[in-house]
Amino acid sequence: MNDAFTIEYKNDHIIGRFAAMASPCELLIETQDRLLANHLTSLAYKESQRIEQKFSRYLPNNLMANIHHSMGKAVAIDDETFRLLEFANICFELSDGMFDITSGVLRKAWKFDGSDNVPTPNAVKVLMPHIGWQKVKYTQSSITLAKGMELDFGGIGKEYAVDCVAKLCAESAPTTSIVVNFGGDIQVTRPRHNKQPWHIGIENPEDDNSTTKVLKIISGGLATSGDARRYLLNGGKRYSHILNPETGYPIENAARSVTIAAPHCIQAGLLATLALLKGVKAEAFLDDQAVKFWCYR
Amino acid sequence: MFKKARVILAFLISTQLVGCANLGVQPWERDLLAKEEMALDSEGIDLGLDDHIYFSKEATSGGRAFAGGGCGCN
Amino acid sequence: MQLISKNSLTNKMRKTANVNAALAAATCALLGTSAVVQADEGVWEMDAALLYYGETERVTAVEGVFSAKKNFGDEHVFSTKITADSLTGASASGAVAQPNAQTYTRPSGKGQYVVAAGEVPLDDTFHDTRLQLEAQWTQPLWNDMRGSTGVHLSKEYDYLSIAVNGSLAKDFNQKNTTVSAGLSLAYDTIDPEGGRPVAFSEMVIDEGQFANEEAYQAAFDATRQKDTDDKTTVDLMFGVTQIINRRMLMQFNYGLSMSDGYHTDPFKVLSVVNDQGLTQSLVHEDRPTQRTRHNFYWQTKYALDSGVADISYRYATDDWDINSHTIDSRFRFNLSDNTYIQPHFRYYQQSAAEFYQPFLLEGSSLPTFASADYRLGEMTAYTIGLKYGMTMPSGNEWAFRVEYYQQDPKNAGFDAPGVLQQLDLYPSVKAMIAQVSYSF
Repeated sequence: MNDAFTIEYKNDHIIGRFAAMASPCELLIETQDRLLANHLTSLAYKESQRIEQKFSRYLPNNLMANIHHSMGKAVAIDDETFRLLEFANICFELSDGMFDITSGVLRKAWKFDGSDNVPTPNAVKVLMPHIGWQKVKYTQSSITLAKGMELDFGGIGKEYAVDCVAKLCAESAPTTSIVVNFGGDIQVTRPRHNKQPWHIGIENPEDDNSTTKVLKIISGGLATSGDARRYLLNGGKRYSHILNPETGYPIENAARSVTIAAPHCIQAGLLATLALLKGVKAEAFLDDQAVKFWCYR
Repeated sequence: MFKKARVILAFLISTQLVGCANLGVQPWERDLLAKEEMALDSEGIDLGLDDHIYFSKEATSGGRAFAGGGCGCN
Repeated sequence: MQLISKNSLTNKMRKTANVNAALAAATCALLGTSAVVQADEGVWEMDAALLYYGETERVTAVEGVFSAKKNFGDEHVFSTKITADSLTGASASGAVAQPNAQTYTRPSGKGQYVVAAGEVPLDDTFHDTRLQLEAQWTQPLWNDMRGSTGVHLSKEYDYLSIAVNGSLAKDFNQKNTTVSAGLSLAYDTIDPEGGRPVAFSEMVIDEGQFANEEAYQAAFDATRQKDTDDKTTVDLMFGVTQIINRRMLMQFNYGLSMSDGYHTDPFKVLSVVNDQGLTQSLVHEDRPTQRTRHNFYWQTKYALDSGVADISYRYATDDWDINSHTIDSRFRFNLSDNTYIQPHFRYYQQSAAEFYQPFLLEGSSLPTFASADYRLGEMTAYTIGLKYGMTMPSGNEWAFRVEYYQQDPKNAGFDAPGVLQQLDLYPSVKAMIAQVSYSF
């Protein structure tokens, strides 16, 4: 045993656990082969560390730091970053500009800690010139961000890591059914050999008293977008943490929580986020997409 | 003689592209190509109906699909 | 996915609204997985269409099609189609127009029809209903190869066609190149009412010269062959599909078709005219018993920002000396997320068959083969059309198509004697096509 990850042996599968991306992460592997389980969990841990370190806002010398300190000069990017930027671009267009990864700077004004500290209009206004995906210039090899602007992959980072880890596991062990579960963002590599669903316990972060929900999943991805404890309560009005990048203020009447099932975790995660961005029209939007969804208000 | 040359030329043109192995896209560049309207058989019903009309009214058939058989329309 | 869910999926997953589909494609692009085939497993994709084809004063046809396709998982696909069509109206018999009215015998031998002066003779007994069934199964075989096989059956009152086909396709170069080879075998039998005519036998027209009905029937039967006849066709096809870049793909096909058997049209005749251009008699046509055809086909599809451009060119040549060029183009413009218009333009040109002649000259020796069927003569044709499609909120799609098709037969170099110089021997054929389709 090392202190990066732990292994637990069950009757018909093995669980690998570690912490990453501020979430409890687990790998459910349909095997009795301990070496394989060790290898896969180690692979998953290293890959999630790699992604977290590359795209984290908080580290001093990584790719994100270089971009944020570039002062308007072009910064070289690799193929993975380019693909993420292309994906963010498509999401920006599909959401008519509501999904915007440059809106992260608004965290300087909005702190969603359940208190009533709604920011002053000026605090929000001063950040608005630094927001706008259309102002970002990028090519296959470089990105140019104006001074004061930031990129925030927080909205898609965890789901992207889930899909990357699932892809690596599938390549390593193509005939083994593996569940990648990063705090409720899930991807199953393939159905189990016994054709039974995986039973996965999901804790409800909001209500500590409620019993754990059990999800039955055979294949594909699952993701949840929700506000948990991230809201502000002021003057009887609940401000959700989903911010409109054009106004700088929260989306009105956003659902509290949306869970989506889709072939890939990141696709499910984006649909959930897009639904939240639709405010009161979340259910109608999801009905049109013909996907399985659960929407709570 | 010209007819034979035409046949050979047409043959050459149609086999040229098999040699172009550097053409193509990476799997992640298939977003536009994956659209339903970009599939070669995307309007199958229309194409089948048109093929039948032109098979009945003209002397040539085939190209996109098998030329022979079909019906007594010609 | 089999989660316990609050809303149950309907069977209409096929055309999920654009956002999810776009997101799915974007996800594949991001993760580097190959493009997901949108056909959902376990769901029947169905298409129905009704087409009306009407020539001015000639043939009218109504055709209905229903097709269904299902992906059984892992790229095992079954598709089937049923077509029914009904034709009525008149088509050119091959005889030439005359400055006076003419009488013709119907091909069945029962009855006659009269053609007015100056008009191209049209035989209006031509009405038939046809039913066609086809089924095709495709599945992956070993090593990146796909195999496909199918059957085809077409039956009308006097004609039966049965065909089987098989093909193999293999992907190369990260699925950027696909090479395919296919074979089709068809067997047709023809048994027209009144029997098939003897080649170049004279059409027997009852103008009162027969003593009684039996005498007429005996004379008619003398021009008839008793048995049915058939035709076998072997088709070979080789194709290459190549993705050129992110927006464009191309397809090249070469087809070889060899048919052996009865190719003559039992309903078509030639006029035997004297040096004044006046018809002396009518004889039944005769075509060779073999035909070898080569087809070269090239198609390009280009993804516009909001639509698709589709252009193809086909060159065909055969040993009947018919060469043709076809240019077919469709431009789809997406007006919104759920509607589009698509103009269509097609240009066709063919040269005359070696044995084509618009009429026979009295006194000259009979050729080995001859036909005055304008469809084997020199002609150009063009089609111009417009299609409008709309996707409903349920994901099903309606489409409406209107087209105009005009054929302009041309003189392939035959001098017209006498009165024939004043008559239009190569009239244009004009047709309107209208179609409604529904995909669900």
